Amino acid sequence: MRILAILFLILPAGVATAQVRSVELRVPRSFGYFLGDLLHVRADIALEPGLTVQRASLPKPGPITYWLDLRDVAVEPVPSGLRLRLTYQSFYAALDPRRLEVPGFTIALADKSPGGTTTAQAEIPPWSFGVSPLREIQPEKRDDPADYLQPDGRIRRLDPAPAATTALTLAGFGLLAFGLLAYDRAWFGRRRGRPFATAAKRLRHLVGTEPDGYREALRLIHRSLDETDGRRLLADDLPAFLDRHPAFRRESEALSRFFEASRRTFFGREVQAAREFWPWPDVQAALRRLAAAERAA
Amino acid sequence: MNPPRPGDAMLTDWRDAAGRFEAEIAKAVVGQGRAIRLVTIAIFARGHVMLEGDVGTGKTTLLRAVARALGGAYERIEGTVDLMPTDLIYHTFLGADGRPRVEPGPVLRQADDLSVFFFNEINRARPQVHALLLRLMAERTVTAFEREWRFPNLQVFADRNRVEREETFELPAAARDRFLMEIGMEAPRDAETRRALAFDPRFHDTDRLIAEVAPAVLDHRSIGGISNAIQRAVAAAPEIETYVVALWDALLRPAEAGIRLPGIDMGHLVQGGASPRGLAFLVRAARVRAWLEGRDWLVPEDIRAIFPDVMAHRIFLEPVHEMRRAEIVPALCRAVFDTVPAP
Repeated sequence: MRILAILFLILPAGVATAQVRSVELRVPRSFGYFLGDLLHVRADIALEPGLTVQRASLPKPGPITYWLDLRDVAVEPVPSGLRLRLTYQSFYAALDPRRLEVPGFTIALADKSPGGTTTAQAEIPPWSFGVSPLREIQPEKRDDPADYLQPDGRIRRLDPAPAATTALTLAGFGLLAFGLLAYDRAWFGRRRGRPFATAAKRLRHLVGTEPDGYREALRLIHRSLDETDGRRLLADDLPAFLDRHPAFRRESEALSRFFEASRRTFFGREVQAAREFWPWPDVQAALRRLAAAERAA
Repeated sequence: MNPPRPGDAMLTDWRDAAGRFEAEIAKAVVGQGRAIRLVTIAIFARGHVMLEGDVGTGKTTLLRAVARALGGAYERIEGTVDLMPTDLIYHTFLGADGRPRVEPGPVLRQADDLSVFFFNEINRARPQVHALLLRLMAERTVTAFEREWRFPNLQVFADRNRVEREETFELPAAARDRFLMEIGMEAPRDAETRRALAFDPRFHDTDRLIAEVAPAVLDHRSIGGISNAIQRAVAAAPEIETYVVALWDALLRPAEAGIRLPGIDMGHLVQGGASPRGLAFLVRAARVRAWLEGRDWLVPEDIRAIFPDVMAHRIFLEPVHEMRRAEIVPALCRAVFDTVPAP
């Protein structure tokens, strides 16, 4: 850290402050500040092990005098004790270079071990810094008061290209993620499911659950056809279905056997005849082929 | 398909006769295959039929052809705003000898031989006439001249056009519920048929066209017995019973069945209707259709083929939707069949 360290004070250790070994105050520089500048002060407090700061005793950020604000206070532990980082802001409108004194304060320290009763105090001493004026006391006479204003300092123009590229890339990722989400949730219309593939999986569980398994298998195919077509499909609708879904045209033979078997099973009460007409291995094979046709669609 | 049991040879013969009947009617009425099939179903289900459609689509021609092919006595009457129930029952005039006479009117003239009573433009008649018709349709009886007249073979065919609303009387719900079907007739869509209807002189003279239909293809006296035989012969599997009840539920409570129609609050669409009598008619007509298709068991297609014609006029919509009925009810029927799974 580039700090022009100024060792302000090493506090003499008294009896009451035996646990506080030293307080060191560092500022980057002690002169050359203007109206509105921030002053970053670092206070290193060397302590006996076991002591820690009582947070309530730290100064509160806020105005200290009419020309000085405390903006921020931070505490961090270091091996030798504590480090306070104080950020002041000076609002002193100096007419000539002069030194200003920042008042000191006291913080309370306590033993952090459970049951510990030791307390101590650390004095942060007052310190000073030099401020300089921003403008002449008696500037040259100008007709237009606006001419007293000075232009802002030139700043380097930033190149927007990398930021734009990053933004575009991230927007692209965002859009892609949105697209995936929309597809998953089917926001823009039906996601084309794979009802026959699902039915083929379920059919495996039905093997061996006779005699209801056969009816259930036919029902599975019915529901898959319904889902594929988005409506309830009856036997008479098969030609229209094949027109709407040409991918299944190769399976028209299997589908018409299926509808015939389904009619006999459910409505003709001839389950046995239906099973001979369209036996179980054919059902499995047909459903596999239908699932394949569905993938190809 | 499944061959009917050997004992049902009579039903097989009758199925052939029904095929001949349809073919005869198709000679006179072209491009109306669906309407002819539905009328045939109605005849074998012993149900009354209402034909509805635009002017000049062949409603009257179809009914005249049906009456001729069916055989039996046939009477017709034109609905007018001043028609009274008594005009159907008797007819008064002064005889050649100057004395007043009272003769039976169109309903009673043929007595119990009457097989087809054709009521043209039924919505032009007054509610009093509808009330008489209600009894004629429901019980096939009329009380007149201090006795009860029975018409065991009677079938009422009525037609109305849906273009005019002036000077017409909407049929009461009870009367509409007694019609087995309301068949909508549209002009044929296919270009060849339309051209023939416009240019072939054969279709310009209705009387000669009807004369081409062979008379009495069916024996109208036996149809009652055959109808009962069909109802006994065609079996309904438990799956079909479940299916029909599910359709009924979905029709009455479309929102709960998950049916959505665009722009309509489904919770407040159907007020009621679809009576148990309607459901009984539906199954009756579906059995006849299964028989005509050569099966002795019902399949869901049988229900679907006749559902709109049997059920649509029995659904009562909330008044706010009633004006758009012609568009909503067919969509609802389609949605019901797209939603309810079979089996």
